[in-house]
Amino acid sequence: MKTPPDENQIVRFLDGEMDAAEKSAFEASLAADPELRAEIESLSQLGATLRKSMPNGREVPHADFFNSQIQVRIAQEEMDRARESNAPAAGAGWLDWLRAPWFAAAATAVVALLAVTLWQGRSLSPSESSLVLSSYAPNPDVQARAFHSDEAQATVLMLDGLAAVPADRKIVGHSVHHSETDQQVATTTLFSDDGHVLLVLAKDGRNQPRLLEHTP
Amino acid sequence: MLAPRPATLWFCISLALCWSDSASHAQQSKSFQTAPIIEKPATDGKVWGALIYGSPAGTGADVAKGDLPKGLQDLPARLGKVFSFQHFELLGQHTQDVFREYESWVVPSKDLFLKVDSKGKADGGGINLHLQFWQDQQVLVKTDAILRERSPLFIGGPKWRDGQLIFVLLLTKPES
Repeated sequence: MKTPPDENQIVRFLDGEMDAAEKSAFEASLAADPELRAEIESLSQLGATLRKSMPNGREVPHADFFNSQIQVRIAQEEMDRARESNAPAAGAGWLDWLRAPWFAAAATAVVALLAVTLWQGRSLSPSESSLVLSSYAPNPDVQARAFHSDEAQATVLMLDGLAAVPADRKIVGHSVHHSETDQQVATTTLFSDDGHVLLVLAKDGRNQPRLLEHTP
Repeated sequence: MLAPRPATLWFCISLALCWSDSASHAQQSKSFQTAPIIEKPATDGKVWGALIYGSPAGTGADVAKGDLPKGLQDLPARLGKVFSFQHFELLGQHTQDVFREYESWVVPSKDLFLKVDSKGKADGGGINLHLQFWQDQQVLVKTDAILRERSPLFIGGPKWRDGQLIFVLLLTKPES
């Protein structure tokens, strides 16, 4: 039984790298295998589309620098070749993995990951930033001023003139995992990570919130 | 016969996984058919609120990255660009759904907390909110704001000891 063509052969066929004997053997497989024919057809179309979308040529910026870099590179490659010719043959072809079919997919994934990382790390444009539209401090001694900090990539609402919290007062923080609101009795119960009740928030007669600490 | 190519193999594996996933979902929904339907209140997004203590010399542990939501891992550095403190301590935190029909409370501490009322989705992304910043029984500020993902709101609160209390609010998940 004839061995079916592998993907290296497909790529070599599409790139016109086969010699006459190889090409005729491949074309025989092609004639006998409609699935292979369809694959070749689809890859050819993809190649044609890519070639059409890519610009054929454009002016090289800083051509002098570019040319000098090419000359440096040629000199380096000549030195590398001279070194390789003295080196044992076992090292030859170590870059063959670049031609492996999985390489393109892996390279695409790495490029996509880099793009996402760079996108997330970029500065936000004004239309992507949070905004303070208006603010009002009931206490006339307090001035609320809002601004956007580009450096911090944050919107800031600064409350100047607030009375300081007494130094001896202990500020107790919680790590609230979730809350449940009972609309009928207008209470919100706050739970910790392990499901324990931390606080219960209710409203008083003046519609002001009252927080009750849960005592087991 | 053609040997299976890697792409074909992956396609088959993905197809098999999708099929088994939808089959298990179908089985699950079958077994829950008799369970009562609990209607979850509609939400406009999810916010993360934290009470931070900024101070020139830290007395407690600085904010640990593990305590911070995705996209705000560099919170201490960002706070340091606005507030002139060297240390930022996370006193409390609360992740809360923003309910569409009624008020939501973000309470990382009973000393300073936030009432959040949704006013719907904002043009260009994020949500329109009416916020009330409370200290005990007193409302310190009322504000209308648009909160967008990746763009936190820092509220510079009252001074405490040799530093300041700071409230941070971040939209972690807008409703799609």
